[in-house]
Amino acid sequence: MSGGEFYRASSVQEALDLLAKYGAKAHVLAGGTDIMVKVNRRQLAPEVLVYIGECGLNYIKDLGDKVVIGGATPFAEILRSDVVKQKLPLLAEAVKHIGTPAIRNVGTIGGNLVTASPAADSSVPLLALGASVKLASKSGERVVPLEAFFKGPGETVRKPDELLVEVIIPVPDKDVKFAYHKIGRRKAGTLSVVAGAVIFKAEGGAPRGTAIARDQACYFEKCSQARVVLNAVAPTPLVAKKASALLEGSALDAELIAKVAKTAAEETSPIDDVRASAWYRRQASEGLVKSLLERIVA
Amino acid sequence: MALNVVGQRVKRYDGLAHVAGETRFVDDVIVPGTLVVKGLRSPVPKGKIKSLDVSAAEKVPGVVAVMTHKDVPNNRYGWGGDQYVLAEDHVRYRGELIAVVAAENEDAALEAVDKMKLEIEEQEPVFDPLEAMKPGAPKVRPEGNIFMYGDSPCRKIIFGDVNEGFKKADIIVEGKYHHQGLKHAQMEPHVSLAVPEATGRLTIYTVSQAMYFHLTWVCNIVGLPMSKVRMIGGTVGGGFGAKNDVHADHIAALLALKTGRPVKWRWTREEDLLFSTFRGSWDMEFKDGVTKDGRLVARQVKSIRDSGAYTSLNAYVVDKHCFLVAGPYFIPNVYVEGYCVYTNKPPASSMRGFGITPATYAGEMQMNKIAEALGMDPWELRFKNAFREGEMTATQRVLDSVALIETMQALAGLVGKELPPHLKAMASTQKREG
Amino acid sequence: MYTLELKVNGRAYKVEVKATTTLLQVLREKLGITGPKVGCETGDCGACSVLVNGKLVKACITNALTVHGKEVLTVEGLGRPGAFHPLQLAFHEHYAAQCGFCTPGMLMAAKALLDENPKPTRDEVKEALSGNLCRCTGYVKIVDAIMAAAGEKA
Repeated sequence: MSGGEFYRASSVQEALDLLAKYGAKAHVLAGGTDIMVKVNRRQLAPEVLVYIGECGLNYIKDLGDKVVIGGATPFAEILRSDVVKQKLPLLAEAVKHIGTPAIRNVGTIGGNLVTASPAADSSVPLLALGASVKLASKSGERVVPLEAFFKGPGETVRKPDELLVEVIIPVPDKDVKFAYHKIGRRKAGTLSVVAGAVIFKAEGGAPRGTAIARDQACYFEKCSQARVVLNAVAPTPLVAKKASALLEGSALDAELIAKVAKTAAEETSPIDDVRASAWYRRQASEGLVKSLLERIVA
Repeated sequence: MALNVVGQRVKRYDGLAHVAGETRFVDDVIVPGTLVVKGLRSPVPKGKIKSLDVSAAEKVPGVVAVMTHKDVPNNRYGWGGDQYVLAEDHVRYRGELIAVVAAENEDAALEAVDKMKLEIEEQEPVFDPLEAMKPGAPKVRPEGNIFMYGDSPCRKIIFGDVNEGFKKADIIVEGKYHHQGLKHAQMEPHVSLAVPEATGRLTIYTVSQAMYFHLTWVCNIVGLPMSKVRMIGGTVGGGFGAKNDVHADHIAALLALKTGRPVKWRWTREEDLLFSTFRGSWDMEFKDGVTKDGRLVARQVKSIRDSGAYTSLNAYVVDKHCFLVAGPYFIPNVYVEGYCVYTNKPPASSMRGFGITPATYAGEMQMNKIAEALGMDPWELRFKNAFREGEMTATQRVLDSVALIETMQALAGLVGKELPPHLKAMASTQKREG
Repeated sequence: MYTLELKVNGRAYKVEVKATTTLLQVLREKLGITGPKVGCETGDCGACSVLVNGKLVKACITNALTVHGKEVLTVEGLGRPGAFHPLQLAFHEHYAAQCGFCTPGMLMAAKALLDENPKPTRDEVKEALSGNLCRCTGYVKIVDAIMAAAGEKA
């Protein structure tokens, strides 16, 4: 175990060459907040580490209708970014709840996705926003919608010679409604018991607090581009498709809120673990989605 | 008059060393050539060891010594004298230490542990103390699952006559309370460094909270007189009761003597959380007799402590629990039974307040329940029953310097509770009426 | 083995490390700099917190080779007797250390905060310390000390 090789990629091309050469033997190292924990706990003895923290994948680009974030961009920089704050407030909100300051300083968005924990914090806002990831290898590039990226706990469609080089996030319309919340065992530095986001475009609807809103309890006449997302309640971060479909094209009232929440909970397939029981997670999922929708209409 | 200390800001004598990062904790003592330790721990909560072969482990390059119970001069230790330094024929909890290795580096030590061949026959364990008390439960230890206080299976406190007390009561209030197990989670994990000196003495850098007790234990285990073993302690990175038991000193000492080299054993946080001592859980049943005007006239308590596989401080923890579970209230008739029950978990032991913290939790929950049953302000109930100067506790101690009423009066102010005039006027020095 | 060059507390070092050696192992075992503590080795407790090029990191899960060519600051470099950093004096003054095991990491987290935000609110201090566990104090005195140090700096 004294072996193990370490390569510092000075460019993306060099990283891709190394991955092409070592394939499944190689572990991509960025912030190391997952890999080094496994190394310390003797759960992983990597034959080859390819360090990509300083190979030019640390950037946030504003491309107008989308924002592109380099795979090795630490969360602290995403949190600090004015572009993210202005154009992707949902992502900004969710990133605040990732890890702790020292973890956010080095932990990267690409690492969080590739590790593919069912509880991956960044997956919730990114799935809600309809993000895609760009995977590059020596033989080319492909763009995969994040929804199709995760296969199971710790598993993704990334091939051993591929590197997650970019996260591509469409900028939602300005008037889009959203809410995010993470339930954990403590406020900070914790994996989620369940975290969720709801996002949709709203049309019509009575102004807040008006008599119409109270009497009819119809908050918006029509929702579109709706997504309900949960993590830590399924083998992969979950887009609750049926719950999202219920919102799509519908008028949002208290009845629909309850129905969407219930449906979302039905779509989960949680497990018992040290953080929470499956029963609790299902209950919490329903309560969470309900409270997210209520927060939006409040 | 301004006092020199009381009311003044006092700085810690070691404060500047702390903020400079100069305080030397045990793991900060670095001696060149120190060997590291890893242990083979039981993979099962209960089992019979059929065979153990460490010959392959001894051959791993970098391994300097491997020890099993056969290499330990005196293999029994602990507050109850019932723990095994290294397991002999049986293991009674998952993580119980079976063999240890000292090596030049961690990789070699871990490889050696991997190469130890352990054959173990798994036996049916019992984890719930209430189950463990039933006749026919799997036996954690051959002599039974309940610690014997002499010939009694429980610690008893008898004061007055609780049955007579119940007769005088207007209502009976019963309550069942469970206090979960807890880990101290002290910041500094268990660690020890043992250094053989040229003088023939052995120096042990220890995190012990009970150093002179532990010195005698270690001397006994390794077979050296106290003049030959020097323990250096005092700098403890948090204890909270976790370091009242010997976790690493004895093993470091044994391996240092066997190898003639400095030996350090630092438990990982995972080992610390899974296998070191903790506050065992409690199940507590209260039956209280209360008069309509809110006087407790009888209290009966049955408490069961999950002690894990060995006695450690559990018997004493149950003692302290029983002495104080009646609470800071004058109750003329008290009957308490406290059981120290073995289960197939790591040995529980002391943690902050020994058994008193769970007693206070349950007792005060019970006071609220009584107040609710009476329709009485819970403050009023506590004032009415609070000890007064010169009253006697259930352990027959006559109290002086009593100040519970005054403390509650001050507390009410702090939490914004407006006390009625008769409670404001109460004092601990006033004799109780009736 | 790989050669790692780094600066710690202003001094340059060259050490041999493995591909998976952590920065904490380098500091404690190779350089004898024991201010940063081994508390969990999983990045949870914060007792090993140090600054790398001014950024707060957990040394226990920082791969040492990723620090190649960089500058590390530990509590030993924050200030020494006679020339203590205001945070160190404030911790002492406010009784912010009890057992002292978390203190070196706490100080580094506090330093990282004040470097970026010299006048934090109490909530911002708490957020900045969210990755540093203390089992003795209950944190109140630590937050007091940092608020006081921030006041002095202004």
